[in-house]
Amino acid sequence: MGKAKIKAKEKKGVVKVKAMFTSLMADKEEATKKGIEASYIKQIVASINGAVVYEISMSGFMSENPLLKFKTKGGKKGDKIEFVVTDNHGKSTTSKKKIK
Amino acid sequence: MDRRKFFKGVGLVAFAAIVAPTTELKAVDFRATKPEAWQAEKTADGIKALFGNGAVTQSDKISFKAPKLAENGGSIPITIKSKLDLETIALFQDANPRSLSCVFSVPKGAIIEYDFRIKMRQTAFVTVVGKTRDGKLYSATKEIDVSIGGCGG
Repeated sequence: MGKAKIKAKEKKGVVKVKAMFTSLMADKEEATKKGIEASYIKQIVASINGAVVYEISMSGFMSENPLLKFKTKGGKKGDKIEFVVTDNHGKSTTSKKKIK
Repeated sequence: MDRRKFFKGVGLVAFAAIVAPTTELKAVDFRATKPEAWQAEKTADGIKALFGNGAVTQSDKISFKAPKLAENGGSIPITIKSKLDLETIALFQDANPRSLSCVFSVPKGAIIEYDFRIKMRQTAFVTVVGKTRDGKLYSATKEIDVSIGGCGG
């Protein structure tokens, strides 16, 4: 699993978050067709200051390099947003970004 | 030797500090708690497996935006919006071998405006089902035309 690109911006108490994750998002069928191992992201959890603000579980039928956008009230300028990404092998990576 | 041991110890502590809070954060791991929902082939079966046998009401309180005609089935932008106090939102489609695409677990008081992209192999109906905190189910359905199938198809 590769890097995550995260953008978070606060405006009037609402934090707009845009995040892109690198993953082939290949489920069983697609993987056999391409002759690769199935690899997709299972779950993404975002949190600000230890409180979960966003949580998604997904199957391999999300598009390649999933791009997620959402808004949340749970943060302000200078706080850090943390993304925990778990893939189908159970491996998880954490990426952090400051809210602008 | 002592120095090496010292660094090893520090590394372990740092590792534990990073890993420990993340495991607590996971509110609901739908992949683990509802494995049968991810295997369901049809939308109706998927809804049953994920939400149980409750009645699903078609409602305009859940709105989702999607293109009528998607040129590229590999990446179809979808926006879900709702003002209801929802606990869980799931997206099902009939185009792929398994119908469940994604499940959101919504934190309390969150703004429900989620943007993401899905893959679809062929033209099919897409259903968004939301569950409120008092257990009611609402849904919205749309048909999306796919001209070039994504998903390796």
